[in-house]
Amino acid sequence: MTDPDHDIEQALASLRPRAPSPALTARLAHELDAPASRRGVIIAWSAGLSAVAAALVAAFVFLGGVAEPEAPTYRLVHVEQTRPDVQYFRPVQMEDGSYARPLRVRWQDTTRWEDARGNTRLINYRPNDQFALLPIETN
Amino acid sequence: MQDAHSGQDWRAWFAEHGARLRLIARQWTRSEADADDVLQEAFVRFWKHQRHLPGNPNALVVTSIRRSALDLLRRSDRRAVREKVVGDDMETVTWFEPEADPRLAALADSLKLLPDEQREVVVLKVWGDLTFDEIGEQLSISPNTAASRWRYAMEALRKHITARTHD
Repeated sequence: MTDPDHDIEQALASLRPRAPSPALTARLAHELDAPASRRGVIIAWSAGLSAVAAALVAAFVFLGGVAEPEAPTYRLVHVEQTRPDVQYFRPVQMEDGSYARPLRVRWQDTTRWEDARGNTRLINYRPNDQFALLPIETN
Repeated sequence: MQDAHSGQDWRAWFAEHGARLRLIARQWTRSEADADDVLQEAFVRFWKHQRHLPGNPNALVVTSIRRSALDLLRRSDRRAVREKVVGDDMETVTWFEPEADPRLAALADSLKLLPDEQREVVVLKVWGDLTFDEIGEQLSISPNTAASRWRYAMEALRKHITARTHD
């Protein structure tokens, strides 16, 4: 049995809705292709710092073990990073005409190693103060 | 539409589905500009927050569009002047690409002549790819009511086309 509405439905389906304008796509891109957030920037920095810290620890343990068997063997027991303090400044114009917003991020890293045999501790405290520029997209 | 669950680039997804989503937005709004605003808001919300949700992404994005359209309609109730302007827009801007086949061209024109409650069922079924059950959920009506509106719409479209092609 033939559905009497089928022909109309098929004809409707063959109509092609007008494509969204390039302007709408550009507006979507502005919202969905946003540059990295400040949280993303901070996370990226933290990841880099963690990698450096891990490399230093590995080198410290390795070199200590080879050069002096009786030397203390430090084991990483605590890593702390304070909540970053982010300070924004007025946007500035770059040499190429684009705009960027300067920001200052401050935080402290504390890393503690312990040698159980000698009951000694090694604590590394490092305050960080960095500046960065966040590109600003202008229309 | 299942691809929305994956890590696909939004541009590729929008290039594939944007036209029919815009039609859905357009039939719930009073102007081209309003349709763009609604689709932008709804799509950004869907892509950022809803596309990974379980369920049919097709229904999710339609729900998002309807929500934005209703919000805009409520706001626009206070914009009498603009409503006057966009009333003309309905008459001059086509919703579809031009069709060489006169029967299809008549069909495209006839769709806008349907009562709103019938037209939204047609648009959601054909271009929203929703079932009568899903349409009922979207519009807060029963599936039987949705199916009934569909049948009335088909009948009306058939009459419109017949009348137009015999002119």
